[in-house]
Amino acid sequence: MAATTSTSATIGEKLPDLVKDVSQRRIDAYSGVRPRSIHTDESWARTKGFPKCLAQAMMSTAYVSELMTRFVGAGFVKGGTMSMTFIKPVFAGDRLTVHGVIKERRPEDDRTRVVVDVWCENQSGEKTAIGTASGLIAG
Amino acid sequence: MVEFKPLTYEALQVGEEFVSDPQLVSPEDVEAYAFAVDDHHPWFSEDSPFGGPVAHPTFMANQALRLRHSRYIVHGGLHAKMEFEFREPIRPGMRVRSRGRVIDKYERRGKPYMVTEYVTEDENSTVLVRGQFTQMLFRD
Repeated sequence: MAATTSTSATIGEKLPDLVKDVSQRRIDAYSGVRPRSIHTDESWARTKGFPKCLAQAMMSTAYVSELMTRFVGAGFVKGGTMSMTFIKPVFAGDRLTVHGVIKERRPEDDRTRVVVDVWCENQSGEKTAIGTASGLIAG
Repeated sequence: MVEFKPLTYEALQVGEEFVSDPQLVSPEDVEAYAFAVDDHHPWFSEDSPFGGPVAHPTFMANQALRLRHSRYIVHGGLHAKMEFEFREPIRPGMRVRSRGRVIDKYERRGKPYMVTEYVTEDENSTVLVRGQFTQMLFRD
């Protein structure tokens, strides 16, 4: 997959959505299987009031990172930023869609910083994480 | 020798500092992370614009998030906020560690929170990632 760098992206433009199936197997790989973990021990998650294991919120930041790397390319890997608030749990078996809409373009040294409003939604259309991310592009 | 104690809101001190052990970034770990987040960008295993493969930008985030585990017994909590500045790419072969400092703790709607600022560096103290995060603590 080649990174898509858009030097002509305009404010209000929507980035291509990213869809992620959050399986227990991937949560296990991300968090490491541990007892007394709300991520990998379902009985423990229930004692904390959750119906099943939760994905680590950090997994959503990885998905946003993927969205931004696809869009901005190297200028996200070096020079990127992200600020996320986690507003609803993501459970094992959920399907997340990651969205991005260009919010701002501003000059930074000899390049342009593109700021994107980003959010994740679950299969019920509920937002699970919201925030902004940015990266540097030429021009 | 580390003397671990249970993490409580009362025990936690603003200004408290943490440091992780160094972690060697191996190609296998980069691949395992790519599997976990289902992102198999070729830069993680082949050449990249930075010369050679790089890890996913958020690859070391758990090292920072788990800083408090270097001193406390933590049976979880909820992650409320996360900020990153990606300064330099993380590359296989680096030995990387994170340092953090508790910059705030507060209670909101009866729930305790802690705020930590962190930096992740390579063996030459080059800053790779910096930022801060907010975690809610479980009461028991």
